[in-house]
Amino acid sequence: MALDSAEPEPKRMKTSNKIEEKLDEYLKNMKSATWNLTPIVEEDLYKPIPVVQASVGIIRDPKDISKTILTLNDKVPMKELQHLKRAQKKEIVICPLSYLNGAKIEEYLENNVKELKEVFEEFKVCDVPSRPPQVRKQFEESNKVWPCNFHPNKYNEKLVSGSFYNEQELKTHRQYMEMVFEVTKFYMKGLTATNIDSDKILRNLNTCVVVDPSIQSVVAVCFDNRLKHPVQHSAMLAIDNVAKTQNGGSWVADREKHETIDSTLRGIDEELCCHLKEKFPQVKFGAKKFKSKRDMSEEELQGNDIGPYLCTGYYIYLLNEPCVMCSMGLVHARAKRVFFCFNNSEFGALKSKVKLQTITALNHHFEAFTGFL
Amino acid sequence: MEEFMHRALQLGGEALQAQEVPVGCVFVVDNKIIAESRNRVNETRNPTRHAEINCIDLVIEYCKSKNLRHDYFQNITVYVTVEPCIMCAAALNNVGVKEVIYGCANDRFGGKTVCDVSKIYSNNYSLSGNLLADEAMALLKLFYKGTNPLAPDPKCKKILKE
Repeated sequence: MALDSAEPEPKRMKTSNKIEEKLDEYLKNMKSATWNLTPIVEEDLYKPIPVVQASVGIIRDPKDISKTILTLNDKVPMKELQHLKRAQKKEIVICPLSYLNGAKIEEYLENNVKELKEVFEEFKVCDVPSRPPQVRKQFEESNKVWPCNFHPNKYNEKLVSGSFYNEQELKTHRQYMEMVFEVTKFYMKGLTATNIDSDKILRNLNTCVVVDPSIQSVVAVCFDNRLKHPVQHSAMLAIDNVAKTQNGGSWVADREKHETIDSTLRGIDEELCCHLKEKFPQVKFGAKKFKSKRDMSEEELQGNDIGPYLCTGYYIYLLNEPCVMCSMGLVHARAKRVFFCFNNSEFGALKSKVKLQTITALNHHFEAFTGFL
Repeated sequence: MEEFMHRALQLGGEALQAQEVPVGCVFVVDNKIIAESRNRVNETRNPTRHAEINCIDLVIEYCKSKNLRHDYFQNITVYVTVEPCIMCAAALNNVGVKEVIYGCANDRFGGKTVCDVSKIYSNNYSLSGNLLADEAMALLKLFYKGTNPLAPDPKCKKILKE
């Protein structure tokens, strides 16, 4: 063969590398990250508050201001604009323009609040903030449009501050995310692909680490099995493995896998478990001892808190933004926080396609964070 | 069609007996039921074990035993007593069933009512509802009169007792 070509072919650009190396690169970048994690919240928290038009009357005699406000609060309560202060010097909000139904403001007063017919010397239409400000920045901006009431909310301020976690917390979260990468590496061992392909492969699987922050301990570690079973994405497997630590669960792992027999950490491959314990000697493994109403007598339960219950209070760490199925599974499981590294532009349900955590109609809401890289 | 929904309702009734949220489901191919199940959330302590997910598991087992590929799901019509939740709606999309027919709407978690999952996926199954809806709703109402036996006592309840 060598004789056929006098010169060796120049090395092709499309060289294949180990996927592990790609993961190591990400790991290196994550370890050197200096920035905070990003909470994923409804856009409304960051955006300026939109305005709506309202009919405003200018009081003839300032002595009438308080009486007029009382009358208006009684007769025209403006349910949707409760956050507005009714008066700004001599100007008083009578109602949103939409209440007039095209009629003139004078007619509206005549029909609804006759007693105020004479107190205004003129009328105008003003822009007013359409929603209550949720954070101080919005409050300050809204006040320039029309004076508002504002109830400061420490949590909301923290969300938009860009410094949600302190150094120590960031170290902890990054460590569990490192574990997510380490698990992925474990299952990608020996696989090679071009740069583009390895990114594709990594986006089409997921890895999940579940932590109980109250005892700072890993309670489940799962790698994807979606090729063999389209519902067995890692988060769904993790929810089932958590169930196994609570005397439940329904999926039986592949026979060739050697699961740990440790009942506080079910469903994890023995070999992987050893590898992780070696790699992260400072990390604790295993769930709290499970206590249930169903398995204990009244006396045994006396003075004992029951639990853990599903994933209540647990933190979920994922390589990729979870899909709709997994995200809703985590809502059902009542996870407390979900962390992920890469966006899932096609099916992501915490940031990319929808933000399930912000749908108020649902009965449970976790917090979602990203920005590891 | 109604006979399949009647069977699903029966399974929902079994769920109620077992103190589970009463939802039942059957998967049908060529007018034959190939998988049937009900909610098993409390039994398995896994909140994702909805009737639909259990049926999907059964079909995957079936495919394995018959050496069928997963595109077998394309032949399946799903009858479920309550509109699939957001998770199940997505799962049914992941496996690629042909059609989903449900009884009553799901105002709390519905994959159409609360968040329209079909907008996220490009190849959707056809979805229709309102088949024996009153019967499905009656089952749910029976359940919600009672309480979930496994949930921890809510704090507010304790205060009320005092």
